[in-house]
Amino acid sequence: MSEPTQQRIHQTVTGNPVVLYMKGNAQFPQCGFSATAVQILKVCGVNDFVTVNVLEDPEIRQGIKDYANWPTIPQLYIKGEFVGGCDIMREMYQTGELQKMLAGIAA
Amino acid sequence: MMHPDQIKTLILAGLPCEHLAIDGDGHHFEALVVSAEFTGKSRVQRQQRVYQTLKAKLDSGELHALSFKTLTPEEWSVQRG
Repeated sequence: MSEPTQQRIHQTVTGNPVVLYMKGNAQFPQCGFSATAVQILKVCGVNDFVTVNVLEDPEIRQGIKDYANWPTIPQLYIKGEFVGGCDIMREMYQTGELQKMLAGIAA
Repeated sequence: MMHPDQIKTLILAGLPCEHLAIDGDGHHFEALVVSAEFTGKSRVQRQQRVYQTLKAKLDSGELHALSFKTLTPEEWSVQRG
């Protein structure tokens, strides 16, 4: 686990209200799960979230898995807190919990 | 390429399950995992627990597209009605 990478991730997730680590970007997701995650954020009314394309940075791609002890992408962070991957986002959207977490952040 | 039964075996070897159903085409899988161990745990903790049992396959890249539903036996009985 490389320290500078972990620090970079920490700065990104704590320095931005909503961060999605994904494959591709919001316009061109390169994986079905990442595409779903982007869609869920959009229907929650969040449009200006930060995305990090893990395919462009192998260190981040591995580092983010270590950071959250979560072996898959996408990963959603709200106010620095790891919320979950695509399944959890979907479940929390269905129960309304995600909308609640994002309320006040949605522009 | 993995068979759903292989995944089932791995999960069962690492986590006692009341019920476990896996569906998949060799690349994408969907799993329903019902375990008493999930009681009192968050969604993230539950899924981390299942991921633990699959760590080797996830690290090797053999397995990457797996959707989960994680329920306690109580939640499962409510969902089944």
